[in-house]
Amino acid sequence: MPRVHFHEDLEALELDVLGMGELAERAVERAVGTLVSRDEAEAAAVIAGDDEVDERYMSIEERTFQVMALQTPVASDLRLLSVVLHSNLHLERIGDMAVNIAKISSSVRDLPPSGVILAHIQEMSDVVRPMIRTAMEAFRLRDLNLCLRLPEMDDPVDRLNIGMYQEVAALAGDPETLNWGLRMLLVARQLERVGDHAVDIGEQVGFLLTGEFREFTDASHPVHLAPDG
Amino acid sequence: MNEPSETTTGRARFALGPQRGDVGERELVFDVYDLSVSYGGVQAVRDVTLPIRVREITALIGPSGCGKTTVLRCLNRMNDLIDGVRIEGQVRYHGVDLYHRGVDPVEVRRRIGMVFQKPNPFPKSVFENVAFGPRIAGFKGDMGALVEESLRKAALWDEVKDKLKDSAMTLSGGQQQRLCIARAIAVEPDVILMDEPCSALDPIATARIEDLMRELVADYTIVIVTHNMQQAARVSDRTAFFTVDVDEAGHRTGTVVEYDQTEVVFTNPRDKRTEDYVTGRFG
Amino acid sequence: MALADTRTTTDAVRRALTGRRRDLGGRLFESGLLLTLLIALATLIVLLAKIFGQGWSVFAERGTSFLTSPMSQAAGRAGIWQGIVGSLMLMAFVVVIAFPLGVGAAVYLEEYARDTRFTRFVNANIRNLAGVPSIVYGLLGLTIFVELLGFGRSVIAGGVTLAILVLPIVIITTAEALRAVPNSIREAGFGVGATKWEVVRSHVLPYAAPGIFTGTVLSISRALGETAPLLLVGAIQGTFFTGSQSLLERLQGLYTSLPTVIYTWSRQPNPDFQKLTAAAIMVLLVVLLMVNATAILLRNRYERKW
Repeated sequence: MPRVHFHEDLEALELDVLGMGELAERAVERAVGTLVSRDEAEAAAVIAGDDEVDERYMSIEERTFQVMALQTPVASDLRLLSVVLHSNLHLERIGDMAVNIAKISSSVRDLPPSGVILAHIQEMSDVVRPMIRTAMEAFRLRDLNLCLRLPEMDDPVDRLNIGMYQEVAALAGDPETLNWGLRMLLVARQLERVGDHAVDIGEQVGFLLTGEFREFTDASHPVHLAPDG
Repeated sequence: MNEPSETTTGRARFALGPQRGDVGERELVFDVYDLSVSYGGVQAVRDVTLPIRVREITALIGPSGCGKTTVLRCLNRMNDLIDGVRIEGQVRYHGVDLYHRGVDPVEVRRRIGMVFQKPNPFPKSVFENVAFGPRIAGFKGDMGALVEESLRKAALWDEVKDKLKDSAMTLSGGQQQRLCIARAIAVEPDVILMDEPCSALDPIATARIEDLMRELVADYTIVIVTHNMQQAARVSDRTAFFTVDVDEAGHRTGTVVEYDQTEVVFTNPRDKRTEDYVTGRFG
Repeated sequence: MALADTRTTTDAVRRALTGRRRDLGGRLFESGLLLTLLIALATLIVLLAKIFGQGWSVFAERGTSFLTSPMSQAAGRAGIWQGIVGSLMLMAFVVVIAFPLGVGAAVYLEEYARDTRFTRFVNANIRNLAGVPSIVYGLLGLTIFVELLGFGRSVIAGGVTLAILVLPIVIITTAEALRAVPNSIREAGFGVGATKWEVVRSHVLPYAAPGIFTGTVLSISRALGETAPLLLVGAIQGTFFTGSQSLLERLQGLYTSLPTVIYTWSRQPNPDFQKLTAAAIMVLLVVLLMVNATAILLRNRYERKW
């Protein structure tokens, strides 16, 4: 097969993106963990770990650009590089979100938590992290079905996020817990955005596989508040 | 295999194997300084300065008639074969002035081999083509082994091992060109010069020869003239961009505009003329 | 409406493409050329027919003894043996002298000499020499070889004279063959570090060999037919005795050639000699045909498209 070195370069970039996916997922897991464990050192470690994510991000960006300039890729090679560039960015943002969660965790370590809300957040994390994994698998296996699953997986995240408002409002009685709860709203928002990034990666993989760019979720899809109850 | 490795800037890299152009400052093979060449009184190329580094692929690109081939042929004194050629300036090879009176051009060409634009195997057998050079150089060892090794290095052995006695003219164009590469390698040169080696070949054959170049550069210094700038982008470590200066009298003389790492030339060239050429706005 | 238009267009196109313009002028010209060819052929055929008509009877009556008998005053006994032997010896000289000298000179002029005014002058004059009437070479031979150098009227003088005569032809055809060698082959040779002699010996000459051989053989063919210079240089026109001489004596002694014999006999008043002349011409034609066929064979053999 001719152009061996070029194809090796493409493979290396793909592997690096998959590696970043693992790093990003792990960072989210650890960050959410510190909310429960209140482990200061662990939170600091998550924040420091983002340096590596950023370095990988820069490396992938640079090398992708170089490959595009020097190898004039076309067809699926070009679409692959589009996936790499976009996913690179999404995963780097996910890393930043894990950092934000860890920072919030540090800032509320002296405030009283609510077990219900913590469980809620854990639930969101347990939905969102598999989404990252699914997006990476869809990319690795070139599986369109996996891509299409992502918007379905995102539905509970939206519901959970909306449900958070009510639960935090219920904490109104205790100012300190309320304070804590309001911060948790931010955490939930971060996790919801992680889910969105995972879906975006899935859309990019869909583009790689079909050559068509489609948004999986409609912008006009209205966001319903949870029914009163 | 995905170990991070530190570069000079300290940033981790995860690529498989060394990156192109990622070599720092290497030893010079050719020190071309203020080279000017004229044919029969007409100046073809002027004031060319090109330091060429060991075990790199250096590409010379630019529009037609700008002197790239002229400069290339100065590197192994092939221009001597043309009547009325005049060479000024310096061409140093490992520190030795190639055009010094005592230098034997035949010896020069044994160390600096050449592959031409149109594949030109000798009208003899495949074996003879490869064996000719070493034989006249006085090689007394196992010729069969040397021929095999050269053909293997040129990625041609598997295709011709059963037809070594057949005429070279029965090979396809791409195979003939690889045979010419094997022929050049057989005399164990230090440098391989290539003058538009793929311009007569189809894209598949071209891709194979480009892959071959990247393998060969581990052992040889390669200088290639190419009309196809994407080819220069794909294979070379350093690129020199030539252009033509036209004076008031209409005389056309070639000069070097920019000479830098290939990555720089194709992502962020310094000279607007280079930018115009590589983006296809001119030339 | 579209359908009708399509039909019409196709018809119109067909008419335009298949209709023949009457090319009267062209056809007349073609016929004229054919006529000239027929006239030339007719002339040749008439000539050959006349010769065969006259000469055949000689072979019919005497068979191969015509070929093996020496010259004689008696038409019934005269044969062309000495002519054949003489021509063979002369050709041997031509090959031995003209071939190496001619090829060598051509190789020098084409491969080694720089393109200066002098070399162009030499080249032009070689062409001129090829066009010089052969009798001038006869005078040259007489003055220099026969008298000045003292070879006398011998085969040596005749052979050398003929060799000089065809030398320009050998040089020119060899030079043409060398020029036809693609320059890419030379460059390839130099590219792997060969010297000029190695390139010429290993690549240029083998490639040019078919052309060189053809040229040499055609030169022999030309020399075979030359009469005038030999007459000047001493080929015997009458009968002479060769008998049992050693080779060296033969070379230095009297000789003749096939065309000379033809010339001699054609001037005899005896009408019987006319038949002999025709028969000798037949032999000469056959020999020339064989030589030319050899040229073609050699060329085809070496021309295996490498």
